[in-house]
Amino acid sequence: MRRLPDAASRGKSITMDLEGETVPAIEGEPVACSLIAAGESVLARSIKYHRARGPYCFSGACSHCLMRVDGLPNVYTCRVPARQGMKLERQNAYPSAKVDVFEAIDWFFPKGLDHHEMFAGVPVAEQVMAKVARQLAGLGLLPTAPAPERLPVETVRTRVAVVGAGAAGLAAAQVLAAQNLPFLLLERDNVLGGRLLSGVPEADAPPPPAEGLLAPERVRTRVTVIGLFDDEEGRFLAAVNEGTGEPRLLRVYAERFLLAPGGHPPMLPFENNDLPGVYASHAASLLVRRYGVAPEVAALVGSGPELYALARLMTERGTKVAAVVDLKGPVPADAPAGAVQGSEPKAHGHNAVSGFSYQDASGRRVKVACDAVLVAVAPSPSFELARQGGAKVEYDEAREVFAVVADAEGRTEAADVYVAGDVRGARSAAQAAADGRRAAEALAQSLTRAAVGGKS
Amino acid sequence: MSKALVCSCEDVTVEDIRHAVAKGFRDVESVKRFTGFGTGVCQGKSCLSAVAALLAKEKAQKPEGIVPFTPRPPLYPTELSLLASLPVDESKPPVGGVPQELDTFPATLRPEGAVPTRARVVIVGGGVLGLALAYNLSLRGETDVVVLERGYLCAGASGRNGGGVRMQWGTAANIELAKRSIELMGRFARDLGINVWLRQGGYLFMAKTKAVAERLERNAALHNKHGVPTRMLTLDEARDVVPGLSLKDAQAVSYNPEDGVIFPWPFLWGYANACRKAGIKVETYTRVTGFELSGGLVRKVKTDRGDISCDTVVVATGAWSPEVAKLAGVSLPNEPHRHEILSTEPLKPFLGPLVSVLDSGLYFSQSMRGEIVGGMGDPLEPAGLNMGSTLRFVSRFARALTEQLPNLGHVKVLRQWAGCYDVTPDNSPILGRTPGLENLLQLSGFVGHGFMMAPAVAERMAQWMTTGASDELFTRFNLRRFHEGKLEREDMIIG
Ligand SMILES: Cc1cc2nc3c(=O)[nH]c(=O)nc-3n(C[C@H](O)[C@H](O)[C@H](O)COP(=O)(O)OP(=O)(O)OC[C@H]3O[C@@H](n4cnc5c(N)ncnc54)[C@H](O)[C@@H]3O)c2cc1C
Repeated sequence: MRRLPDAASRGKSITMDLEGETVPAIEGEPVACSLIAAGESVLARSIKYHRARGPYCFSGACSHCLMRVDGLPNVYTCRVPARQGMKLERQNAYPSAKVDVFEAIDWFFPKGLDHHEMFAGVPVAEQVMAKVARQLAGLGLLPTAPAPERLPVETVRTRVAVVGAGAAGLAAAQVLAAQNLPFLLLERDNVLGGRLLSGVPEADAPPPPAEGLLAPERVRTRVTVIGLFDDEEGRFLAAVNEGTGEPRLLRVYAERFLLAPGGHPPMLPFENNDLPGVYASHAASLLVRRYGVAPEVAALVGSGPELYALARLMTERGTKVAAVVDLKGPVPADAPAGAVQGSEPKAHGHNAVSGFSYQDASGRRVKVACDAVLVAVAPSPSFELARQGGAKVEYDEAREVFAVVADAEGRTEAADVYVAGDVRGARSAAQAAADGRRAAEALAQSLTRAAVGGKS
Repeated sequence: MSKALVCSCEDVTVEDIRHAVAKGFRDVESVKRFTGFGTGVCQGKSCLSAVAALLAKEKAQKPEGIVPFTPRPPLYPTELSLLASLPVDESKPPVGGVPQELDTFPATLRPEGAVPTRARVVIVGGGVLGLALAYNLSLRGETDVVVLERGYLCAGASGRNGGGVRMQWGTAANIELAKRSIELMGRFARDLGINVWLRQGGYLFMAKTKAVAERLERNAALHNKHGVPTRMLTLDEARDVVPGLSLKDAQAVSYNPEDGVIFPWPFLWGYANACRKAGIKVETYTRVTGFELSGGLVRKVKTDRGDISCDTVVVATGAWSPEVAKLAGVSLPNEPHRHEILSTEPLKPFLGPLVSVLDSGLYFSQSMRGEIVGGMGDPLEPAGLNMGSTLRFVSRFARALTEQLPNLGHVKVLRQWAGCYDVTPDNSPILGRTPGLENLLQLSGFVGHGFMMAPAVAERMAQWMTTGASDELFTRFNLRRFHEGKLEREDMIIG
């Protein structure tokens, strides 16, 4: 990974302390982004086999980038903004994450390790194993200091709580604003737009939100919703608000919940899919679009339109695309040259990607050299909040994901929960926006009906 | 080494998923528990759909049977100190809880075909008690047994508990049972071929009021009489056992180094596996819907997969026992009470014993995997089968925990869930014959400690059932005691 030469300087140059070494960073950029741009690819060791890990998803949805940051264990470095002098340590490795003797576990158990049956009932071995296992278990060390006294919880009451400021959530919020319905839009990122800004570009996508699109009191950024709960006062979203300095717990009680949290970048199972240098397409597009960080040579693997759009984006930004392997096919006519249908993908390299191979249509194994493998598959809908709110979730066999069950207007099985966008199963940004509008209109209608005492 | 990872938080590979399927774990909840996928820092965000696709591809499950595991709050790891900032009105009972079970176990998960039409013994409930009993019956040669479980193995309290096992009890009966159970747990891997990770790091009880302190002291003496090495610790000694522990307001501390924690799930798999090997049928996703009675006996057990005629029926449905007994017209005095619990990010080992503040019901320990697992009873929790999670609980627990171990403030909660205690008026189980229905046997009412009692109680019950020899356990804890008013209250209950 490297910083693109043409990337506009985006912030103050600072330094961080990585286990005693000074590494350059850009203030405010995610720590993991600065680290990979500085050539640090191994950020962690995995819990059981001590496999080398570097960031994969850049959305706090895996565990590849967890580090000890300023004395706190298991911090998502893909989400934490870099600050001058930050102290970073890799975890779960001895003597260091680059050379970890426990990597031997990975080699000793090529077929994996069934901890349920291993040494079960073998008198001495069993006890030794229990002791060893306990010492090997766990990721980080205990925090060094107690937490400060936290700010008191903030409680907000509104008519509609909207989660997610991507295409769907933004479109919904605009409808609600136009109808003068009090609402609050909560976004985990520090900017509005979701993948309109950081995703793989789509030709028919709505434009990213203009400055002042929504009244400031209607929007909160850097607010991470952690659950849809209920208590004696009604249903509410619980969230952690980091938008105003010190983190603080926030409760938002609402009459309706419009959930548009999008999806999580999933792991695509193939050999060495966890090697540092393997990135989810979301991560690759975010890195190149927002932070001007990109691989030199990338192999792309996956399926669906995003695979090809990502190939175009990377090529445009100067990355050499060494392979585009469509696991489902057929390869569309307008696909970038060289795209093929293939199977059995595999990443190669020791502690970092150095190559990628796959089986082509004739059964031949084809290998290319590269420093990154980019995985483009449809996101897994983030159905958690909807399910907590009582919506039904079903397996979508064609897309191979779980999605929230809803009608065309986004109504779910729970009367006060509406959904829009990728949470219903991956769709284009334009479709997501249309979803958002429809759901907001239906929701607004349900509120007016409730106000006049009618029943649908 | 080349591996294809599905869940990279827990290092679960494609091979591991296939291995689980080959071992008979075919639904998402069971595969999750057996492989550990989805239990790590990301809580399934990056792996759940990949596992689902694999199960579909392996034909482990028909598509309609592929349902996601229950998404537990919080959606993202959240620091205890933040959760502790929520004020809780302790004068009001808790309300609600999420997620509520929708359609608990979809009919699509029900196995095809009917259940056997006859069995000598039918055990209702595939929790640790039902399965341990079936296993012990098989050891005594009784294998004409069917175990009926409405969900997956681990769906009930046996899959939702804290894994604490202790000999520090307030009655002789419980001390002796727990002693025997822990002995059997120590041999479990040898007997049943699966690791249960018994770790005897001790139990440290703290009392913050005089009355509770006196109880601890009195009970410690009783423990010693039964050969249990419980000691009253000075505050300095307590600090040595748990570095960093706040002893503010502590009036007394008792400690038995031989108590410990286990990993609950493998017990169920181990028992079920041994039962099946012996020819016992363990039928999951099969619900008991009624009983056919005549002449003071249960003749048939009705299920959603057909009826089974039988000689003996055992009700081992934990918190569901009142509901199930009612199907036979029997009214039980036990009540389900939700108990919430949570688990944090995994940390390197730093905490030896399970620590409990007996006055407030706070308890916490460090699991083999390094997570802090703990809970705290809510005195105002209303009766009812509720398995939803509340923000109120995490908040109360976080505050109480960080008071005891301030350095945990920055530690993040990964998931919270709930199970139901099966609470009896005297905190003691309900065992033995049912007055008026002689062949309906009770095996319920184990409040918050049934897991650690199961191996020993099941052993005694199987002996009693197969030999006909009398055993005072089954008279002492008989349902009759509630009419006769002979209650023996256990006072070392957490929560
Ligand atoms: C939060 C929590 C923490 C706990 N901590 C501890 C601890 O640290 N140590 C300890 O020893 N104990 C602990 N316990 C208690 C312990 O888990 C229980 O006492 C024990 O698991 C009870 O086992 P069981 O087999 O009776 O019930 P369960 O495990 O609940 O099994 C009963 C089964 O019956 C099934 N069932 C219900 N209705 C039907 C029907 N109609 N047809 C067929 N099947 C049916 C259910 O699905 C369930 O699987 C805790 C409990 C909870 C909830």
